[in-house]
Amino acid sequence: MRALALIVAACGADAGAHAVVAQVAANIEAGVSEVRYDGFLASAAASVSPTIRWEHSRGRGFVSARGTYLRFESGRHSLDGSINGSWFAPLAPRLRAELGVSAGGSQYANIASFSHSEAEARLHLMSAERGAWAGASAGRSYFSGLPRNVVVLATGFWLLRRDKTMFVSLDRSTIGDTAFSDVRGSARWRGSRLVLEGIVGARVWSRGGGRGVYGEGSAALTLGPEIALVLSAGRYPTDVVRGSIAGRYVTAAVRVGSISIRRPAPAPRVLPVNEPVYTGSDGAVKSAETRLAIQIRPDDVLLTVYAAGAASIEITGDFTDWQPVPLNRVDGNTWAGVFRMTAGLHRMNVRRDGGAWIVPAGTMRRPDDYDGEVGVFVLP
Amino acid sequence: MIVAALLMAMQVAIQDPRLDRLDPDTRAQVIAVVDSARQAGLPVEPLVQRALEGATKAAPGTRIVAAVHRLAADLGAARTALGSNASAPELEAGVAALRAGAPPQVLANLRSVRRSSLTMALSVLADLVSSGVPADSAAAAVLALAPTARDADLVEFRRAVERDIALGAPPSAATSVRVNSGAFVNSMSSDPGPPARPRRP
Repeated sequence: MRALALIVAACGADAGAHAVVAQVAANIEAGVSEVRYDGFLASAAASVSPTIRWEHSRGRGFVSARGTYLRFESGRHSLDGSINGSWFAPLAPRLRAELGVSAGGSQYANIASFSHSEAEARLHLMSAERGAWAGASAGRSYFSGLPRNVVVLATGFWLLRRDKTMFVSLDRSTIGDTAFSDVRGSARWRGSRLVLEGIVGARVWSRGGGRGVYGEGSAALTLGPEIALVLSAGRYPTDVVRGSIAGRYVTAAVRVGSISIRRPAPAPRVLPVNEPVYTGSDGAVKSAETRLAIQIRPDDVLLTVYAAGAASIEITGDFTDWQPVPLNRVDGNTWAGVFRMTAGLHRMNVRRDGGAWIVPAGTMRRPDDYDGEVGVFVLP
Repeated sequence: MIVAALLMAMQVAIQDPRLDRLDPDTRAQVIAVVDSARQAGLPVEPLVQRALEGATKAAPGTRIVAAVHRLAADLGAARTALGSNASAPELEAGVAALRAGAPPQVLANLRSVRRSSLTMALSVLADLVSSGVPADSAAAAVLALAPTARDADLVEFRRAVERDIALGAPPSAATSVRVNSGAFVNSMSSDPGPPARPRRP
């Protein structure tokens, strides 16, 4: 949606919106979030995000820089920054060329770091109320100093109706051995004091980039000349180039400064470091719909299963002599049981509502010799 | 001979009534494998558990017998690699590593470089290979860490590699980076907690 706003403004199709865009705009956004990465517990976080952008007075180009400092309730923090810019050149009455560059980096707790640099070229075909574009970008992404080539092919179209805009895009990204496609649609409505935005998308044809449906929504309410309240929530996919893992979030923030074009929802770009991330055979990040937590106590082991939407949970494994044992419901989505176990390797399965035996997240998935799978964990 | 076999089967069955869940033919064959393993000095509890697992999962008797037989053979191979003093948990973890594709020589090398229990090191090795890390890269990484790393360090190392892979990092590169950086050790808290306990970021 941000790209659409830029395209519309830069090409002069949205004169009303363009008129309110300052040449230099800066703001700082401070907020609190509840984030939940796939396979992890939810965590509260506080964030500060400064942004500055310069735009050509007639929309021929822009340069934007942004940073985010995010601090989790655990005390860990993440830091990321990026800068990007584009220049638009008229080729014909309805044809525009765009050349752009972007670069950025992110780091979590001085451990995992990503950086990237890309160049982009696009061709825009447009009229006053609609347009389409196709383009490609190429560059490099670095994970802890190791480079991977990045190639993205993209196309899309947009519609503009007074105070509403809609946007649909399809892109194919290749980053080293990882490849995936995203299909996205978004809509934006702008009132006198309120801006609503939403995006839905699906990641498909993925090899190592995860897959699934995602969506985000936000509402920005202008409280004064240079202050706005921003509420946003949603689920976003893994960003392989910038190093953000898929997750959900809810954010409430106050934005102070020149407010012209809405910036993206502040999805935290952090790398949780203390928990495993579970992937399927294709590398896709799995949903943590049913998750096992293990708590070692002096005389026994407490096994807790988180299973949203289940009416009953049974567990079986070598610690029950493979007899199904129903777990006790602790609260709405949590079941628990206490077992005596020895140190070493253990194999187990759980089932929801009397269904098939499955492998919960929180264990390592292995073939079970019986055409199925078994979860494995080790007690030290 | 038949009477002796029946008496032997009855004896083990009486000793371990858990196997009553198997049908008589399957039970007799499983007991034979278990008894053979016991005589060879291999741990038999994993074999019994594998049979019970098959019963719970309603596997055919032939599959249960085959699974128990295969496990007994793999336990023997793990013991050959790890030595006769290997504990039952080490042998089970060794089986997992061998099945994941780790060469037997790696198990032997691990035994020579690590003085404490190999259970976690072998399990991490199996996990890495299962996560897509080439067996030789995983073996090199675990061998590099094994002499000094604590079990908790190895678990944290595995988590870091898996997370990087999930984020798109090539498995072998992720493993190499984590080994060379040692960052996983720095991220450890004084109490790392159990292996798969969910935490906050």
